[in-house]
Amino acid sequence: MIPPNSYLYEMIRSELSWVVGDDHVQTGDSDKLGHSIDYYWVPEVWHDRGQKLPPPDFVVYPASAREVSEILKIANTHNIPVVPWGGGSGSQGGALPIYGGIVMDMKRMNKVLNIDPISMTATAETGINTQHLEWAIEKAGYSTMHFPASIACATLGGFIANRGTGVLSTKYGKIEDMVMTLEVVTPAGEIINTLPVPRHASGPDLTQLFLGSEGTLGVVTKATIKIHPIPESRKFHAFLFKTMHDAMGAGAKIMTSRLRPCVIRLYDELETARLIKRVLGIDKQGAYLVFGFDGPAKNVDLELEQACAICREKEHEDLGTEMGQAWWDHRYKFFYPPYMFHLPQAFGTLDTVATFANIEKVYWAMKNTIRENFPQAAFIGHFSHWYEWGCMLYARFIIEEPPKDPREAVALYNKIWDMAIRAAIKEGGVINEHHGVGLKLGRIMKELYGPAFKVLEDIKKVLDPNNIMNPGKMGFRAKGI
Amino acid sequence: MHIDKHQDVIAACRFCFMCRHLDPIGNVTFQEADTPRGRALILDKVRMDNENLKNNDFIATVYRSALSGANRYHCVSHYDEVGLVLAARKDIVEAGLVPEKVKALAEKLSGATFTVKGKGDVLYYGEHAKLYSGCKTLSGGDPGKALETLGFAGESQKVFDKFKKAVAASRCKTLIVAEPSAYDFLKDKLDGIKVVHCSECLLSAKLKAGRARKAFYLESDFLKNYDGNLASPRQLLAQCGYKLVPFGTNSEESYSVGEGAVVFDELNPELCEKLCRRVCELADNLKNDLFITPSRYVKATLTKYNPQIRIVTLEEAVAQRKDQ
Repeated sequence: MIPPNSYLYEMIRSELSWVVGDDHVQTGDSDKLGHSIDYYWVPEVWHDRGQKLPPPDFVVYPASAREVSEILKIANTHNIPVVPWGGGSGSQGGALPIYGGIVMDMKRMNKVLNIDPISMTATAETGINTQHLEWAIEKAGYSTMHFPASIACATLGGFIANRGTGVLSTKYGKIEDMVMTLEVVTPAGEIINTLPVPRHASGPDLTQLFLGSEGTLGVVTKATIKIHPIPESRKFHAFLFKTMHDAMGAGAKIMTSRLRPCVIRLYDELETARLIKRVLGIDKQGAYLVFGFDGPAKNVDLELEQACAICREKEHEDLGTEMGQAWWDHRYKFFYPPYMFHLPQAFGTLDTVATFANIEKVYWAMKNTIRENFPQAAFIGHFSHWYEWGCMLYARFIIEEPPKDPREAVALYNKIWDMAIRAAIKEGGVINEHHGVGLKLGRIMKELYGPAFKVLEDIKKVLDPNNIMNPGKMGFRAKGI
Repeated sequence: MHIDKHQDVIAACRFCFMCRHLDPIGNVTFQEADTPRGRALILDKVRMDNENLKNNDFIATVYRSALSGANRYHCVSHYDEVGLVLAARKDIVEAGLVPEKVKALAEKLSGATFTVKGKGDVLYYGEHAKLYSGCKTLSGGDPGKALETLGFAGESQKVFDKFKKAVAASRCKTLIVAEPSAYDFLKDKLDGIKVVHCSECLLSAKLKAGRARKAFYLESDFLKNYDGNLASPRQLLAQCGYKLVPFGTNSEESYSVGEGAVVFDELNPELCEKLCRRVCELADNLKNDLFITPSRYVKATLTKYNPQIRIVTLEEAVAQRKDQ
């Protein structure tokens, strides 16, 4: 942190304002507070208990890649950290200015630059709110098909930085499948573009290097993504299975038989009892499975019927299309207050991904770890992004009354994460599927990658020798180390 | 403190991002502070330690809010973040911390007087008396809504008392109100008086449809987001032959350029200009398209910052049809 009444502070502030203008360098308490807390539980509880949060020294709003470049050059000169900020709705603490410095809020870079109906792509600045992007694309008659719960909260750049995903990922892919090409400002301030198409044999894929780099390797300023026609039909169907295992078998068979649902969601028995009941009003015992298909109406009907036939092979209750459609209609409701978990509860999403062969083992390893070591915590889970080879486990732990003392609460929280994630990794799970690493899970990256992590560390050192870009995140070294 | 009555809103909004895309101010300043989450966070700090109310940056943020109801309308639980900001403004006023420009504006608004003219059983409060034959007209300034939004509850009540006295003197039992902010303020406040929005009254007159004409209807923040999406303005325009086309990219954003804060342009002209610019950028063809708004405030501000815009009020749109 730079003392605000020091001449160095004013020197840096004025240099920044020469680049973006006085109005776009914020140093007031209101905006600093808003940039000190993201969607990570730890800063939330820290704020709730009246503790001081590390604020940024400056919040800077660039309007172009050139301005981003100039800001990074200033940061290199003064050797101060830069933390890119999109919507601030990440759950991993990835955008927190833990060492002060500059928060580079990207939201002024919010233009849709081009919609190409021939190639079915759209190019936009990365500070655009993804709901605004979707609305603009829809007005042109297409869709991004990117419908995450955080669609209204996050920016395109936030999804790129964290390899985010949306509800329809099973058919349309995660953000890394949607992106064609990127414009990136490197930590040294050079503006580069990755190759214009995502399929090539011209060496390793630079686009994929920056996807998921969480602002540690540069600032992504522009992206071209795929867009899609609005499907003629989209239908859903829901089943209730006696056990999660049976439901998993049905879901996996739908995928391995190579049907192409746009979405599958499976809720374990406890989450069905808690959340499905509360949000959708379905008060039944068992594991709720919902899936959907979209595209030409005839194809949708045919694939939906085949998927239903797979489900009917096991003991089930057919909840029909209505209860499937209800889930789609209320898919974001889970994340609004008071439906979303909230303080004073302690809660965390143990996002893990694994193959079908391992995913249930991962589920039980995490569940048993929490049950045996933290009897005060409940464990619920749903499986929310499905691929040809496996799926993602959106497991959550909830403690109704965590310790009052914020230090004790954070220590307990950290311990749960540590033990649960390590148990998942042991069973072949990967942290994580779409939330990113951030501050929360950085310490586990070396263990997850093994010796391969040094490759990532070396890339970071070459691109960012002064370690200005989001230091202390994603397992990379902290500032000053 | 008044904000203490809104602790549920603080608790719900302080860590919630779900409506941030709809905050009109956040969408032009891009600041985290200018979202329901940002404001709830700073008011949470005030709740924890009342001394934080003296923070000038916090006060400025509270008065930057456009008090749009779009976020509350969008929220599945309809948490009243606007109510929280209004409570904070009352706290600021009562603590004597109100910024000078707000104070000056409040003094000006406090001087409102009201007069009744004409003959009739129904009282009309607006600018287009010609549309309503056989009505008395009530004229004067804002009936107290503007002062209420600035946090001056006592002064708002005094102005409203003057308004109420004028209504009582008219002996009318029905009051037709044109400006949506005034309608929102008055609709449940006058015992024994039926308060109707002008669109409801004109709709019942069953006007003849003119030649079909395309127009963009800019929703009123009050009529849509505060008063439950009043259907009568759209029905009235359809009855008059206007073919309404959706504006912008979506139906959720408020394009009413600070209408919710009633005197927003006087308070924050630079921000208001940005709001107007955003509306104009979203227009398909600003010079040729016709815009209709129920609010004189919206018409005045959009015209002030974009003189080329072709915009009429709801009543003017109806009058044009009647004249055909």
